[in-house]
Amino acid sequence: MSPVTIAPPRSKPLLWQHLQQALFISELKSKRKSSALEEMVSVLATGEVTRHPEGVLDAVRRREALGSTALGKGIAVPHARSTLVTERAIVVARSSKGIDFESPDGLPSNLFFMIVAPPLERDPVYLNLLAEIVRSVRLAKTRQRLLEATNFVALRRILAEASHE
Amino acid sequence: MSDVTFDPLDALVQLQDVDCLLKELRDPEMASQEEKLGFSIEGISGLERARERLASQVDGRLLQTYERMSQRFFRVIVPIDGRVCSGCRINLPTSSLGRNSEGASYDLCENCGRILYRR
Repeated sequence: MSPVTIAPPRSKPLLWQHLQQALFISELKSKRKSSALEEMVSVLATGEVTRHPEGVLDAVRRREALGSTALGKGIAVPHARSTLVTERAIVVARSSKGIDFESPDGLPSNLFFMIVAPPLERDPVYLNLLAEIVRSVRLAKTRQRLLEATNFVALRRILAEASHE
Repeated sequence: MSDVTFDPLDALVQLQDVDCLLKELRDPEMASQEEKLGFSIEGISGLERARERLASQVDGRLLQTYERMSQRFFRVIVPIDGRVCSGCRINLPTSSLGRNSEGASYDLCENCGRILYRR
């Protein structure tokens, strides 16, 4: 019998640690940017991240008003800090038809990572999370796999693999 | 962005969020990191106008307290976490957890002086 090779344990990526089934929207109902933001924020309330989704939505919209958080290639990362959230959280959402998110490349966005966090003076994790998301979705094949993932567990596994690539 | 009129304490929470965003945008390191990641950040004049609008909805004394305390603390208005001030992590006496003498649903932490609110 050949010896069993055990892969060394990998540390869980930051993004992986923040992913929650309750904050995953497999297919957004919304067709427009404004209502898509609202739909994503609403799951934060059901996930007990906030009891004041309307205030969090205002914070997200304020950030969006400064410049779209769409990065192009179908990706958007709306983000905001709000006193009204209890903890850092990420909503992952998909739209197979895509939503006009005022992307720099003019293409509709299909894959959304909404990050919210309480305002802290020093919170490198917040920026690191933004960076990790941008890095994780830089490959076209990863983006395609994320859109095709059949459930949350599969999507989380793809993101974990992508962050080690 | 909505133009909803807030309860004075809600307006103050929103004001703090705007101030936090303004601090981030005025911090060259923080702003440049976002831009390096590919996020666009245009002018902040709209944000400054939103701040003025929110400030006008906060009670004068409360706003004065907030402005004074914001010289000391990054976060002036903080949630009560159980019975703990989430700013300084000190246990609050039961008497701090009711309405204050002016009938408003907030109080000041007896230890650090931050404005407390229930989330």
